[in-house]
Amino acid sequence: MNIIEFSNISKKFGNLKANDNISFAVRKNSVHCIVGENGAGKSTLMKILFGSYRQDSGIMKVNGSDVSFNSPLDAIANGIGMLHQHFMLIEDFTVMENVILGSEKTLNIKIDFEESERVLKEYIKKYNLDLNLNKKISELSISEQQKVEILKLLYRNSEIIIFDEPTAVLSPIEVLEFFKIIFQFKVEGKTIILITHKLNEVREISDYVSVLRRGKLVYETEKDILDLKVLSREIVGNVEIQDENTGFDYEGEPEVIAGLNNINLSVNKISVLNNLDLKLKKGEVYGICGVEGNGQNEVINILFGLEKNFTGKLNIFTDKISLVPDDRLKKGMIKEFSVGENLIIKKKECHYISNKCLKKTAEETISKYDVRMPDINAPMESLSGGNQQKVIIAREIELGNDLLIFSHPTRGVDIAASAFIHSTILQQKKKGKSILLVSSDLDEILKLSDRLGVISKGRIVAEFDRNQYNLQNEVEKTILLESIGKLMIGITGEQKN
Amino acid sequence: MSKKIKANIISISVSVLLTFLITVLVLLIIGKNPAEVFIMMFEDVFGSGYGFGQTLFKATPLIICGCGLAICFHASLFNIGAEGQLNAGAFVTALVAFALSNAGFLIAVPAALICGFIVSGALGLVPAVIKVKKGVSEVITTIMMNFIILASINFFLIDFFAVKSTVHTEKIPDGIMISKMSDLLPGFQGSSLNLTFVFAILMAVATYFFIYKTKTGYKIRSVGFNETASRYMGIKTNRIVMLAFFIGSGLTSFVGMNFIMGYKGYYEFGFSNNLGFTAIAVALLAKNNPIGIIFSALLFGFLDYGGLAVNTLVPKEIMFVIQGIVILTILSVDKLVEKYYLK
Amino acid sequence: MRLFTPYYLGANAANFSERSGVINIAIEGFIIISALGYALFTIFSGSAIVGLVMAVLISVSFSLLFSLFVIKLKINQIVAGVGFNLLMAGLAKFLIVFLFQSSSNTPRFNSLPNIFFLESIPYLGKVLSDYIILFSFALVFISNFVLFKTKFGLRLRSVGENPEAGESLGIKVRLYKLYGVIICGFLASLGGIWLASNQNSFSDGMIAGRGYIAIAAMIIGKWKPVNIFIACMMFAFFEALEISLQISGTFIPSQIVQMLPYMITLLVLIGFIGKTKPPAADGIPY
Repeated sequence: MNIIEFSNISKKFGNLKANDNISFAVRKNSVHCIVGENGAGKSTLMKILFGSYRQDSGIMKVNGSDVSFNSPLDAIANGIGMLHQHFMLIEDFTVMENVILGSEKTLNIKIDFEESERVLKEYIKKYNLDLNLNKKISELSISEQQKVEILKLLYRNSEIIIFDEPTAVLSPIEVLEFFKIIFQFKVEGKTIILITHKLNEVREISDYVSVLRRGKLVYETEKDILDLKVLSREIVGNVEIQDENTGFDYEGEPEVIAGLNNINLSVNKISVLNNLDLKLKKGEVYGICGVEGNGQNEVINILFGLEKNFTGKLNIFTDKISLVPDDRLKKGMIKEFSVGENLIIKKKECHYISNKCLKKTAEETISKYDVRMPDINAPMESLSGGNQQKVIIAREIELGNDLLIFSHPTRGVDIAASAFIHSTILQQKKKGKSILLVSSDLDEILKLSDRLGVISKGRIVAEFDRNQYNLQNEVEKTILLESIGKLMIGITGEQKN
Repeated sequence: MSKKIKANIISISVSVLLTFLITVLVLLIIGKNPAEVFIMMFEDVFGSGYGFGQTLFKATPLIICGCGLAICFHASLFNIGAEGQLNAGAFVTALVAFALSNAGFLIAVPAALICGFIVSGALGLVPAVIKVKKGVSEVITTIMMNFIILASINFFLIDFFAVKSTVHTEKIPDGIMISKMSDLLPGFQGSSLNLTFVFAILMAVATYFFIYKTKTGYKIRSVGFNETASRYMGIKTNRIVMLAFFIGSGLTSFVGMNFIMGYKGYYEFGFSNNLGFTAIAVALLAKNNPIGIIFSALLFGFLDYGGLAVNTLVPKEIMFVIQGIVILTILSVDKLVEKYYLK
Repeated sequence: MRLFTPYYLGANAANFSERSGVINIAIEGFIIISALGYALFTIFSGSAIVGLVMAVLISVSFSLLFSLFVIKLKINQIVAGVGFNLLMAGLAKFLIVFLFQSSSNTPRFNSLPNIFFLESIPYLGKVLSDYIILFSFALVFISNFVLFKTKFGLRLRSVGENPEAGESLGIKVRLYKLYGVIICGFLASLGGIWLASNQNSFSDGMIAGRGYIAIAAMIIGKWKPVNIFIACMMFAFFEALEISLQISGTFIPSQIVQMLPYMITLLVLIGFIGKTKPPAADGIPY
């Protein structure tokens, strides 16, 4: 029996089709995985189901009847619960306050804390959640916070539960615990929708799988006929790799341009970098891959001079560093400024900023980097993501710095722009620049980097160089990928190379 | 013309019009004839060189203070502390001018202005440093500092510097006073307008170039729009915050030039009469554009002097009400234009 | 002890607003407008009760208008607050001159009725017989109970801490912000009414920054009703000290005492005296 049916759901943001005519059904009491790359439209679809967004067109059915949700409240009333990727918790509230908020049990005018406690303790025991109800969220670890979110769903008796990339923040052991909870949900007859892009998880727990790519539903399969190879091809699509890195010739030992030695860093008493060692050599592309939030941003901040409260030794043999940050809108640009203004702010020339100077700078970049835009004075925010990214990359490269840091350079960028960005990075390498590439997209790292380091829990747990992973043999390649994958999620079975 | 500039023009003119309508309504409610009031106001302001001069005289400190605040606002720093900052600056300006009065105009005046600038700027640095080091919002600290500064000035003034049984300092000699405009252009008929007005206009133009045409100005605006991005773009954001606060607050001290050297010859407690707050309205109405500030200051100067002129018909205090209405209409019209025109 | 009343009412007003995530620096204006409202309607109707009711209504209407600006239109709360302060202070100045042809104060008018039989109690009579003072004392418990023990308080606070989280659980974020601002207008009005009723006259400048001191007390009190109570008592003590210094004319300048509350607040903010943390989403439009 279908508990949810999507038919022809579409949703646009500006020019971007986040969901394009998506139709599929979710069976009752199943674990249904929705997989796809970043920006494939998974989260948008789930937010529509949860009432946070409204579809532009298409029909949604829950339990056989048409629904139209104006807010999450409507979704909650229909027994739908969602565990957001970014937790919806109030730091300064206790676990109990967070859980009961919005559905408080009251005794006269007072909140009935005793009764709530009794009910919650039952759930905690049953699902083995091990939570102290009176602790504040700010005192809890990430995995404990996730358990609070789960407790919220239990307290509200949600029958359909959406998990948005729940395991991204968990350690392997915590992932196993989490799976146990999912199985118990299933035993109790609940329906689970799981958004993920980790294929081994899909294999382990899914009953049905739907693949989204660039806003469209491209493939559906189920447990018994699941083929991970087919699945991964469907997720990525047919991307032709154009100019791959032709390799790096380590003649003798190249000079080191930046070295981090035994770096430790704690933020709010939580250790983020843990004896991290990293050497960047002149003229190479060094790729750092890892699950997000394992210390990548902190490494960048230390190199770029934004983070100073670390211990350990930092040697940088250049003060000319460029950075293309991971989050364009928040870190990369001033969206209210025009393209020219965004470029000029870092330029050495143009102390008096005339209109002529602005126009010249903008025009140069627009032609050289093939930026498409409505009008030269238009603010950055009116450009598409790919074009914004090109402007930022242009700004950083044109400074002519020795060390270039790229963090997730192609995130949320279309295929053509991605290819352009990749070839730009390789061109810079040819010019002798040193490049640090941080990405959670393993393919990108493998394609571009001369050496790669796997980061996990604030340290580089393994390093590989190009002739180790530039393999022709498919079997060997698969084995290597699997072992990198394991390292990324923190399973250390191998010695550091 | 870009859509944004058009939107600005629309929202400014709609706000002014709306304020005008509300004022008419208020006048009708209290049983006055709006036409009579406005005619009298216009006649007084534009009918005589004196009235016109007085209007410009009232606008002068608003241009100066408005420009100073605009710099802070461009950096997204809500400096509510101009009232205290400008008083401290003006107080010091008067003291230094008096102390150096034997040194002659060319030394005494610049020295007094520079000292005033430094004092106001330094007081502006306090909230900036607290914000940068401790992450405390400048809004609360500047409000608190207003009270602290004003009480301190009051203390120093009464206990040490004031002429006995007054609340003002010693008068500076005529030799270091700034020329009245009416001495140069007799058409102003002895109004208090002085050369500070010209200085204020020049200052507005300079501020305009600083904000929109220099790299430092760009950095200030960039920090104002998005501090995180600015940091990742290699801008030393803390330094920019402190710089904007220092220059912005420092500039407010120049209002002392108009009152002390151009008008009374001494610092008087309470001379500012909420100038530091009115200037917020002036800057807001002009969208923090210094050239626009000249015009919005003129509008407020017109209201201020015009209010005096019609005092026999309507109490001049109505101008305080209109000022409040101007701020609130510009704020709301702005949002509505943003919502329905720009989208 | 009586002097603490307007501070505590004002500080609680500010607190309810900030707990819902709305910074209201126009407390000063709200106190002014309600003191004036009480004065005008008491004079024209001859009844202090009419004055009271009208003053509350006026203040609450202004807080509704304020909500329209900051909640509906999402205008920057600080700027809107400055605007409202100017408007309300301006209105007060204008109306005094317009209605009474005096630039400083209104004619004298009646105080609110007291609880007569308590008035004769020695020492404490003046405190115990005043409804508003008694209410202020009760407010320590009421605020605490409402904010921390009821459904309403939990939801109000959630909106000020993390509105997205609240909304994801179906809480009407803007409605709760509106509640916060209205309660703020109501409590502030009682502060203004008490001041006017106590002086039997309204004069320009009589509020003298009490609204800001109230905000300062809220910050020092770390947004907690009980701590705020202590802070207000301290400020009331300073005020009493200042008055007695002015009378006795000792060597301690009264200006120094005058700026003590602000000085202490500044030091607390800088972190010399304990740590202080506002609601996480305070001041952010939603």
